[in-house]
Amino acid sequence: MPSVNTKYFGTMAYAEESVYDFPSGLPAFEEHRRFVLIEQPEHAPLVFLQSLLKPELCFLAFPILVVDRDYQLGIAEEDRAALELEPDRQPELGTEALVLTLVALRDNFPPTANLMAPIVINLKTRRGLQAIRHDSLYSHQHPIEWHAAEQTC
Amino acid sequence: MLVLRRRAGESLLIGDDIEIELLAVTAQGAKIGIRAPRDMVVLRKELRITREQNARAALAPPLQDFTSAIRKLRV
Repeated sequence: MPSVNTKYFGTMAYAEESVYDFPSGLPAFEEHRRFVLIEQPEHAPLVFLQSLLKPELCFLAFPILVVDRDYQLGIAEEDRAALELEPDRQPELGTEALVLTLVALRDNFPPTANLMAPIVINLKTRRGLQAIRHDSLYSHQHPIEWHAAEQTC
Repeated sequence: MLVLRRRAGESLLIGDDIEIELLAVTAQGAKIGIRAPRDMVVLRKELRITREQNARAALAPPLQDFTSAIRKLRV
C-alpha cells in the first residue's frame, strides 16, 4: 500500500482507489493534481485535503453544509461538464457529489470559509475541481459558525 | 469608478489596444467580448480572489491553534 507524508499526521498509508484526482489542480496550486481526504474523529467535522505531491500542502476543509446548512449549490455548467455531472441540474450532495469548503485563518481574525468557490468531487469518478461561482450569492470569506449536528458532506 | 451605459453591440476602448464590446444582455447576465493584445492577462475577478484565498488557506497554522480557534466557535 502506498503511503504519504502528511502535514499534520506524519506518514499515513492510503489506498490508491481513495485518491481524488484534480486534473487542473486548484487555482494557485495547479501542479497539485492528486489529493487524499483525511478524516480524524477527534477533529470531525473538520477534514484535511492533503496533496500527494507535497506534504506541506494540506487544506483544512469542512463539508459545506457544516458551515451553511442551507447552502444552495451553484456549480457552473462548464464545471458540471468537466466533472461529468448531470448537465441540466445540480448534483445531489453526498450521493453524487462531495462538496467541501476550504478554510482560511488570518492572524487575529476568526476562521473563514470560501463559499464562493467550493471543492466539488464527483463521487462516481473521484474527479474534482474548485467550482468558482459566477453569481455573488456567497462570500469567499464567510465567517464560520459551526453547526455540530450537521456532518454530511 | 467610471460608469457608462452601453447597449448591445456598442464598445468602449481602453488605451490604444483594448476594446470591450457588450455583445448581449439577458436576464442571466451580460455577454462581453474583449479584444486585447495576446500577452495581456484577462481573468474573471473571482478566479484571482480564489487564488488569493487558496494561498491563504494553504498557510494553515499549527493544527493546535486552528482547532482551538474552531472550538471557540462551537455553538
